[in-house]
Amino acid sequence: MFFDLAPGRLIEPLTGRTWSSREIVARVFARMQRLQSEGLGHGDRVFVLYGNKLEFFVEVLAAWHAGASLVPADSRLTSFEIENLARAVMPRLLLVDSSAGVAALSGLAALGVKVTDTTAWDVADGNHWNVGPIRSQAHMDDEALMLFTSGSTGVPKGVVHTHRSLCARWLALRDILGLDAYRRTLCLLPTHFGHGLICNSLFPWLAGQDLFIAPPFSTECLMRLGRLVDEHKITFLSSVPSMWGLVLKASKPPVAKSLRRVHCGSAPLSGRLWREIQQWAGTKEVFNAYGITETGSWVAGTSVGEFEPEDGLVGVPWGAVIKILKSAEPNAPFDRDAPCRAGETGFVWINTPSLMQGYYRQPELTAQVISGGWFYTGDIGVVDDRGWLYLKGREREEINKGGTKIYPADIDVVVEQFELTKEVCAFAMADPLYGQNIAMAVVLKDESAATIRALHGWMKRRLAEFKMPVRWYTIDGLPRNSRGKISRKEVEERCAAKNPLDLQSILGAK
Amino acid sequence: MIIEHERRKADLLNFLRSIQRPDFPLPEIDGDLSLVESGLIDSLALLQIITYLEQAYNIDFREKGIDPGDLRSVNAILEFIGRETVA
Repeated sequence: MFFDLAPGRLIEPLTGRTWSSREIVARVFARMQRLQSEGLGHGDRVFVLYGNKLEFFVEVLAAWHAGASLVPADSRLTSFEIENLARAVMPRLLLVDSSAGVAALSGLAALGVKVTDTTAWDVADGNHWNVGPIRSQAHMDDEALMLFTSGSTGVPKGVVHTHRSLCARWLALRDILGLDAYRRTLCLLPTHFGHGLICNSLFPWLAGQDLFIAPPFSTECLMRLGRLVDEHKITFLSSVPSMWGLVLKASKPPVAKSLRRVHCGSAPLSGRLWREIQQWAGTKEVFNAYGITETGSWVAGTSVGEFEPEDGLVGVPWGAVIKILKSAEPNAPFDRDAPCRAGETGFVWINTPSLMQGYYRQPELTAQVISGGWFYTGDIGVVDDRGWLYLKGREREEINKGGTKIYPADIDVVVEQFELTKEVCAFAMADPLYGQNIAMAVVLKDESAATIRALHGWMKRRLAEFKMPVRWYTIDGLPRNSRGKISRKEVEERCAAKNPLDLQSILGAK
Repeated sequence: MIIEHERRKADLLNFLRSIQRPDFPLPEIDGDLSLVESGLIDSLALLQIITYLEQAYNIDFREKGIDPGDLRSVNAILEFIGRETVA
C-alpha cells in the first residue's frame, strides 16, 4: 500500500474524465520512460507547474518511480517567482501544460532548466496500454517532495519530505482514521500545498480509494457542492474555512447522505462555522484537522467520539506526540520545568515520524525549529486534562489568507528593490472573506501618483496576484524597537489610525 | 422598465467598484465580461455579490441555491435580478 502502485481511480467531476487504476499504471509506465528519455534520473528534481487534474497525479508517481523528487509549484506565480525558485532548486525538468505561458519562462533555459510542455505526451500516452515491469528507482530515504512555504521572491524555504516521512504520515492516518470514510474522496484544494496534496489527495488515492479532483477553490464546484456530492456519492472532502462562506450561502446541502466525513484545516475554524458545516454536511464527523507542511500536514484532529464544536478545539494527535512547552527555544526545550501542566498555555511542539528532512539547503533555519526530533510549530496552544489540543494563537510571521499562507517578508523583498522605496512593511489585516488579507506600509522617496503607479507595476511583474497587498499606506517612517527591528504589529496599529491610499483613483480604475 | 434596468445596472456597477481589483478600469467592463475569469474580482468575492443581492433584492439563496452562471457577468446578474423580482 502507498508505495506498491495500486492507486484508486482518478475522476474529474467537472469534465467527466475517469482513469481506472489499470490505465493509471500504464500511464505511469509511459511517463516514466518519457521522463527518463529527457534525462531525468535518480536524485533529480522535477518542477510541475500545474495541478488538480488527472495528469498531475501520473506525474507524481512517474517522477517518484524514476527516482526523482517532485516540486509542485503554484501556477499563479509570476515568471519572476518561478525563476527565483528554479534558481534555488535547479530542477532537471520543468513540466508545464498548454495553459502555461512557456515564452514567459524563457529565462529558465539560461539556468539550464529544460521546460517541457507535456500536452502532446498526454495525448499519445492515452493510446498505449502496454505496461512493462516498473522497476522503481526510488528508495525510502530519497527526497520525494519539496513544498515551498515561503521565499518565492527571496531565499526560498523548501520543505523536504522523503518517501519514508510521507509513508509514515499515510500509515498513521490509515491506522487512526481507517479508509472506509475516504472511499470516494473529493479534493477541492490546490495540489501544490501539503493539505491538498499529501493528505486530501495522496493519502486516500495511494491507498486504493477513488479520488475526485476538481479545480482548486472552483466557484462552480463550491456553489454546486451539495449536488456534486450527491451525483458522485462523495464520502469525504477536506476544506478550508474560507470556502464555506460561499458553500453555505449558495449551495443546497447534499441529500443522498453519502457524505460521511469532512475535514477543515489550514486556518482557524470557529465553533459557529463548525456547527453550520455539520448541519450542511449532514454528519457530525466534521473534524478540525491540524496540519503543518513540515509534519506532512494533518497531524491532529477531532476524532474523539462525541464532541461539541468550539473555538480553538483541535482534538487528539494523529501519529504524533504533542507537547506544550514553556519555551519556544530549540536549544533546551525539554528541561524538567519546560512542559506545561494540563490546561496551561504554552508553545506547541510535535514529535512524529512524518517530520520533514529539513528545509532545503538551510540547516540553520532547520535548527531553529527542530531539536532532538521535536518540531516547534510556531503555534500557541493548550492540552486539557482529557489530552485534547486547543490552539490559542500563532507566533510565526505569516498572513493566513483563506488558508493560503503568505509571508510578509516575500512582499517586503520585492518592494524594497523598487528604486524609490526607503523602507516597507507588509502586515496582516482582518478580512471578512478570507479571515486575513494583506496590507502594506511603505516609506517612499516620492509619494506622487506616478510613483505609486510605477511601484504597483513593479510589484505586479514580480508577485502573484494573491500576494498583492489590497490596502496601501504611505507613512513617514516605520516604528522600530530598541534593537532596530520593525514590529509588524506596531506598524499595523499605526496604520489603523490612517486612511489607506485610494488605489482605484491612483491606478486609474475610477 | 428601462429606467429600472438602468438603475439596477448603475447600483450593481457601483457595488462592483467597491469590491473590484484596484487596477481594473471599470469603464472597460463589458456587460458579458466574466467577472472572475477576467480578474475583475476574486472568486470568493462572489460571496459578496450574493450578500449584495440578498440585501438589495431580498433573495434567499439558501432556499433555492444558485446557478454559478447567474453570477458570471453584469448582464447575467441583471437578468437574474429581473427573473427574481418578477417572480
